[in-house]
Amino acid sequence: MKSWFIKYFSVIRMTWIQALEYKANAIVGTFAIFSGLIIEYLIWKQVFYTQGVTEIRGFTFNGLMAYIFLCLIVGQLKSSWATSIDMIDSIRTGDLNKYLIRPISFFTYHFMMFIGHNSLFYIVYTTLLILFPLLLPGWAFPSFIHIVGFIIALAISIYLSYTIYFCMVCFAFWFGEVRALVIAYNISNIIFSGQVIPLRLFPDVVREIIAITPLPYLIDFPVSIATNNLAVDLWLPGMGVAILWCFCMTFIGRVIYRYGIRVYGGFGA
Amino acid sequence: MEVLVHRYLSLWNSFFQNSLTRDMEYKANFLGGLFVDLVYYGSKFFFFTVIYSYVDSLGVFTREDVMIFLVVAFLIDTFYMFFFAGNIFQINQLVVKGDLDFYLLKPVNSQFITSFRKVKSYAILSLVILCSLLFVQIKSYPVDIPFINIIFFIISFLLGVSLWYSIEFMIVSSSFWFKNFSVAGWLSHEIFKFSFRPDSIYTGLMRKILFSFIPMVLISSIPTRILLYGANIKYLGWQIMVALFFFYFSRFVWKKGLMRYESASS
Repeated sequence: MKSWFIKYFSVIRMTWIQALEYKANAIVGTFAIFSGLIIEYLIWKQVFYTQGVTEIRGFTFNGLMAYIFLCLIVGQLKSSWATSIDMIDSIRTGDLNKYLIRPISFFTYHFMMFIGHNSLFYIVYTTLLILFPLLLPGWAFPSFIHIVGFIIALAISIYLSYTIYFCMVCFAFWFGEVRALVIAYNISNIIFSGQVIPLRLFPDVVREIIAITPLPYLIDFPVSIATNNLAVDLWLPGMGVAILWCFCMTFIGRVIYRYGIRVYGGFGA
Repeated sequence: MEVLVHRYLSLWNSFFQNSLTRDMEYKANFLGGLFVDLVYYGSKFFFFTVIYSYVDSLGVFTREDVMIFLVVAFLIDTFYMFFFAGNIFQINQLVVKGDLDFYLLKPVNSQFITSFRKVKSYAILSLVILCSLLFVQIKSYPVDIPFINIIFFIISFLLGVSLWYSIEFMIVSSSFWFKNFSVAGWLSHEIFKFSFRPDSIYTGLMRKILFSFIPMVLISSIPTRILLYGANIKYLGWQIMVALFFFYFSRFVWKKGLMRYESASS
């Protein structure tokens, strides 16, 4: 266990150093959050103003903005599409061979790479999250327990998101080029996991369909905890279901990988 | 001048044929590209469907107007993809690896060849689908849209594409100064997000900025306004001025950037 930890921690450390070389990523990432927030702010301001309402499905204007702000942060932290594209290339070009002949897991190695590459985002966004309740008190994180709940739900969300991407990546063993699938999932995920519009505002039919998928646990669940939109007694059952989804997707990913590796040619496509 | 235009047109035609031949080798990419486009369009439509379930109009834009606005925005995006996307996203790598040398050695305008060398031919399918969709939307629009609006719309549409190109080209040309500006694509995506929302949501200072310094409103909102509500000379004149300014500024940035280019060692 100790050697496992040392091995994969060194992967994180290596990618930390690389990530620090590309500080522009964090700057553009922060710009992306604020530009996204400005657009949502203007649209929802218009909606609230035109309708002359103070609340839409339980969301006040300020509450909605806090929700969307956190959604944009969580959305960026959990999205591993760039790592997935690298993984697809590894399979397509035969680069996967180097993982097969070494005592290293393709799944875990890239997961650690993903965490390492995102490290700069973690630093910047953690600063934003610390400043958030100080600058706008009462908009989110009403108590310490909400911070703890949010961090746990966020960690689950990051892992769950990675396992979903991994399942899609493994289809590259059969089809070679599955980038379109990953990009299409990434685009649809921005809307259907509630990154720009809270799931609660979706039409009921769509919400019911989304509820039977892992999508609500990617963004809506952690953010609902942070913004106090979910009662504390619903946290544990929610986390239980999310962890169950993690096991489920990890298992599916492993099965697809096992079958995929049998058809893997080991040469560049 | 005529000879020059003919020369560049025939050169582009050769680029297109070459790209088409190459793309046909990977037919799955055609389907993949179309699939991604459909998901992208679908998600944007869904976003506005949810918004319009809570509101009847965003400023002057009713639900029908916004549906046409979205198709226009997608068309401009796809038009841009078809002509430029395959080239502009690669400029950073050309600068980093020094491969820009091969373009600079050719006896043609360097900005032309770096902008048009590869054509994303798979976008043709999306273009056909979107044009048909726009035609259907115009036909089913509650008010008759006069033909003259369509003429002015086409002019405004092309100006919108030109503006998109100029801004994206300038952002990517920053690679000459930053050496490795790999996040240029991400940055421009975030900026162009503003063009995918109807201009009526922007007010005050924000509106002024988006009409001038970062003219995102001029990319798809103004062509849609011209199509739906008729040609507004003030808007069209301003769009022409801004498009020309940004195009010449992109030429200036490119030339300045080339002077900093250090070839393969950069």
